[in-house]
Amino acid sequence: MAQMETEVLIIGGGVLGAAVARELSRYKGDVILVEKEVDFGWGSTKTNMCIVCQGGDTLEFRSEYHRSKLVWDSMPLMEPLCQELDVPFKKVGELALIRNNEELAKFQKLKSRAEKIGIKTHEFIDQETLRRMEPHVTREGIGALYDPNIAIVDPVRLTIGLIENAGQNGVKVMRETEVVRISQDANQFKVETNRGSVKCRFIVNAAGTSVDKIARLVNSDDFVLYPIRGYVGILDKNLGGLIKHEIHMRPDAPGQTNILTPSVHGNLFFGTTMQPALRGDCSTTGRIAEIGLQNVRKIIPDLSEKEIIHSFAGFLMFRNWEVGWHECVVQASQKVPRFISICIGYPGVSAAPAAAREVTELLRQEGLKLETDERFSPFRKAPPVFNELPEEQQKELIAKDSRYGHVVCRCETVSEGEIVEAIRHGATTLDGIKFRTRAGMGRCQGGFCTPRVVKILARELGLSEEKITKKGRESRLLLYKSKDLLEAQI
Amino acid sequence: MKLSDIDVAVIGSGPAGMAAAIRAKEEGAEHVLILERQEQLGGLLHQCVHNGFGLFYFEQDLTGPEYGHRFAEKVKDLGIQVLLETMVTQISPDRQITAVNNREGILRLKPKSIVLAMGCRERSRGQLNVPGTRPAGIFTAGTAQRFVNVEGWIPGKKVVILGSGDIGMIMARRLTLEGAEVRAVAEILPYIGGLTRNEVQCLHDFHIPLLLEHTVTEIHGQQRLEAVTIAKVNKDKKPINGTEQMIECDTLLLSVGLIPENELSRMAGVETDPLTGGPVVDQWRETNVSGIFAGGNVVHVHDLVDDVSWEAEISGAWAARFARKEEMGKEKRIILKPGRNIRYIVPQTISAQHDVTLYARVKDMEENVTLKGGDIFAKSLRVVKPGEMLKIDLSHSQLRQLKDDAVELSIEGEKRRQNG
Repeated sequence: MAQMETEVLIIGGGVLGAAVARELSRYKGDVILVEKEVDFGWGSTKTNMCIVCQGGDTLEFRSEYHRSKLVWDSMPLMEPLCQELDVPFKKVGELALIRNNEELAKFQKLKSRAEKIGIKTHEFIDQETLRRMEPHVTREGIGALYDPNIAIVDPVRLTIGLIENAGQNGVKVMRETEVVRISQDANQFKVETNRGSVKCRFIVNAAGTSVDKIARLVNSDDFVLYPIRGYVGILDKNLGGLIKHEIHMRPDAPGQTNILTPSVHGNLFFGTTMQPALRGDCSTTGRIAEIGLQNVRKIIPDLSEKEIIHSFAGFLMFRNWEVGWHECVVQASQKVPRFISICIGYPGVSAAPAAAREVTELLRQEGLKLETDERFSPFRKAPPVFNELPEEQQKELIAKDSRYGHVVCRCETVSEGEIVEAIRHGATTLDGIKFRTRAGMGRCQGGFCTPRVVKILARELGLSEEKITKKGRESRLLLYKSKDLLEAQI
Repeated sequence: MKLSDIDVAVIGSGPAGMAAAIRAKEEGAEHVLILERQEQLGGLLHQCVHNGFGLFYFEQDLTGPEYGHRFAEKVKDLGIQVLLETMVTQISPDRQITAVNNREGILRLKPKSIVLAMGCRERSRGQLNVPGTRPAGIFTAGTAQRFVNVEGWIPGKKVVILGSGDIGMIMARRLTLEGAEVRAVAEILPYIGGLTRNEVQCLHDFHIPLLLEHTVTEIHGQQRLEAVTIAKVNKDKKPINGTEQMIECDTLLLSVGLIPENELSRMAGVETDPLTGGPVVDQWRETNVSGIFAGGNVVHVHDLVDDVSWEAEISGAWAARFARKEEMGKEKRIILKPGRNIRYIVPQTISAQHDVTLYARVKDMEENVTLKGGDIFAKSLRVVKPGEMLKIDLSHSQLRQLKDDAVELSIEGEKRRQNG
């Protein structure tokens, strides 16, 4: 792209940018979304624990908290949205463990406060009921607070669903496009990227961990955000049946969370320590992993570390203490007209549907004309997931395209057909295939399928295998052809 | 293709699966079927282009593909049926197999007996929990072996290897021969994980530095791996402050252990031994599920391919006899118990009526010790190492001396080796 023009430019292809793009695609007018990574949802979105609306949020809901309101408003929207986009959504319910009377008193207070504002779903259960519901959970403690409304989703698939649906409805999406400079005159912005410039009237800044940096490019320093690093461990699917609900325990140390939850794909996730860290440094440390394990063992005492198949760190952006942990950024700039910033922090996925509506409303207030596009279709069909289909449909699929009968990732039973389809839908990297199809996400972590996936990527993209990357940019997997190094020595 | 009236179905066609299938056929099973997920017979043998295969089985020094080829020819000659690129997705306790491929689609088979020969997989970075960033350039040694030997790609030119398992040491040599620089092999234990012959032939002969009691404490680099930090560890395997050194590299290979692949076994209700990671078997390599046998690295990880094939032959022979409903003579069951410095024993149970070979692995390295089997067996050994499996032959006359229905295998140490 040399130079483009659009009405609205969305910066960031995480769940929030994608949700805004999809919301705006209901209306006439040009919208472009730019994402700096090679695929969508690779920032905070992919490190989200997949829980939609955590107990902490419903329980600590206060109408004066902006973020709480967005989460609460999103709750009735999430399930229909997932249905429209053909992405997984599963209600699992939450159990907040109560260890002593002190905690019970605290929970009682929170519960009655929630009831006063109309949230009446929580219910106290005793130790015996808890044991019946979750036999493997610690026997210490006096019971739990049960919230049946908590659900789990797949944040990356949700993001891709939103992006694809927005695309079907006319939004132009561009990847590997990083904003470097923004200039402005009275009527429009000129946004320069590594791939040319875009002139636009409105900007939606949904740049995740870079949201404040982007805001500073237009001198709109209305908010301060701090990056907080969280740690998530993934347990083998063998343990998938160990718990059925999302389980939450009040942390012993400040700044720590302690959650164990099923994922929509049958693994268990545990998430723990939150600590300030250098932005973008998604490295894990031995210490954070140790605390993570210690914490999850408070929930499941005899959990073996051998069952951890993978772990990762991710960032959440938090407002400063003066504004409050419970605040977020969904606002039009006080200083720069037609510039909206959106950053939820935690939990961004849960708040996305309502936040996208609010951004749309802010754009309208800033002068964007919203004229309903009659052609808008909310429905998007996801590529088939072979492993999740009933046998009859599996047979049909293989009969139509025999590559669905060729299993490439044995741990997750992902077929060649699915990988080819993911590439057609835009995957160009090993991680892209992983997040879209789960190939390489299982217990062997790509040990078996990596060479096979690389080969399919090279074949379908018409590239040499040398050019295939893990996650774009300089992350090539294979640096030399056989004998290259020997020839260089001669 | 006829897929009914199968006597013995073998899952996997590596050195275990092919040996089991051949033996089953030789024992008279009429319809033997191999289900293999790859494009050809042989499992991982294809990528093992180094020599050292068949020294005992064929009394010849062969490469992996040569070793596999001999079995594959026999599979063909004997008319054993083979389904390639066929992934078994389920086995039920009543021995119903569900598989999928791109020709027949979804297959359901009901063999009279099954041999599990799925082999093992490598431990990954995720399971090790190596701290640091998540760049490209980190592979298990076996994945790198596939890239180099089968696909014709070299992952990088400055390599560090974590762990001293056999595949890691063999890849250290292989990558050196390909012109890469292997800058270090770091092993957290005070001794190597693999065979001594590989330490000599793959590391020492190529002047590759071996750092015992060292581990990787951090991974650096955002896009491609740029460096690793290596530190010395104390007796509890914890890194010692101040011993860290950063080694610039573009590739990190992991050779930190193999895990028997038993997801299908568990679906079938097969009981697994937490010490081996494989099914609990008797001396006929039958699992707790009647008619389901197991052999090779799916049972426990062997050092030598020869032993993999030999063990699998036992499972194949008895799977054939089970298929024709032959009496197996399983009277007087004896349980084998791991005693002092024994990590595991296979098989876990035996019968007193037959001669038997036991395989055992120790927990720690010791010198000048006696290997004891209750009061019926004793043998002096100069050294025992976790990386080298013990093989113990017991005759039925020895076993008949047993008063109990259990026997404990132990290492009685005269001089315990001091760590470090």
